[in-house]
Amino acid sequence: MRYSKVHIMQKERDPLNLGSLPLVAPPSDEWPLIRSALVKHQRRRRFTRYSGGLLAVAAMLMLAVGLFIHQPDLAPPSAPATATAATTAPQTLDSLITLSQQLENRVRTFRSEVGGMPTDSLVYQVELEDLIVQVDDELSMRPDSLELWSQRVNLLLDLSQLYQNQLRRDYQRMASL
Amino acid sequence: MATTPFEIELDDLTLARARRGDLDACESIFRKFNQPAYSVAYRVCQCRESAQEITQEAFITVFRKLGQFRGEAPFWGWLRRVVVNHAISSLRKAPKADPVELQDFHGKAESASDQVGLAMDLESALAVLGTEDRTIVWLHDVEGYNHREIADLFGKTESFSKTRLSRARSQLRDLLDAGRRSKPSRNAAAR
Repeated sequence: MRYSKVHIMQKERDPLNLGSLPLVAPPSDEWPLIRSALVKHQRRRRFTRYSGGLLAVAAMLMLAVGLFIHQPDLAPPSAPATATAATTAPQTLDSLITLSQQLENRVRTFRSEVGGMPTDSLVYQVELEDLIVQVDDELSMRPDSLELWSQRVNLLLDLSQLYQNQLRRDYQRMASL
Repeated sequence: MATTPFEIELDDLTLARARRGDLDACESIFRKFNQPAYSVAYRVCQCRESAQEITQEAFITVFRKLGQFRGEAPFWGWLRRVVVNHAISSLRKAPKADPVELQDFHGKAESASDQVGLAMDLESALAVLGTEDRTIVWLHDVEGYNHREIADLFGKTESFSKTRLSRARSQLRDLLDAGRRSKPSRNAAAR
């Protein structure tokens, strides 16, 4: 009785009995590829964790040097150093935010155009996106942090470069057909 | 009774080890679920290479995001969702193939009636369906998705899912009937 009820329900859901088709066996063992992608990911994650602090310091340093080289004449020559920092910092923050938005639009366009990615690139892509999410989390608490915005821009640049490389490969493959 | 080939039990210990990044545990999960994952990817895209890529990407995503899996629903359901999402997104990226009309199939069948393998069994009938129709009938009938879930996957309405399911089933029935009808005549010709 119980069996027939289950049987009837099954028959209703799958009247053509598609579920009776056997599972399809994969042509080759994909584990070694997946394993190596995971190992790379774990290594990169460890590296990112340890070098994160160092990178942040380096980014700050580069930004400071950049400000000094490119915008020394924004402040009047007689203005004290503190006033210079106060006037240039908001402009840099704005330009970083604008750049970040532009890059995000570019990445969005690339993402809709790019085909399947090789495993390595895919892992890198997911990793970059994860890092962007982490930076965004921190930005929600410190929205005016130059350091965080510059990190975000750098990550988006890497992501955009990754997509660009993949698109180039896609076009080359299509051209060779 | 398992309602889907994905419904495989996974012990908490293996899951916890995999969460910590233990590659042996990840491999054990992969070995358990690889075939159902590959099968559903293959049923959606009907291409071995694409199915392999989809499965690979889905497992990498799952292992990388395992920390986010809260364990409120069974693991197999989460994995299946990731595989199906990857498969559907690969369909969106792939160039659209024209759905095969039933008349086209009959035409081909009549002109090549002497070819071996003409009879339409379930497997080849499925392959003849349009990509979306095949995916919908498979997800509904075999994987047990409901119309709401299918509609969400395709970003369409429930009516879309219902209409396509009904169309796909009726096409499959016609193809199977055509196959059965062609069998006796071929046997007679062989004699």
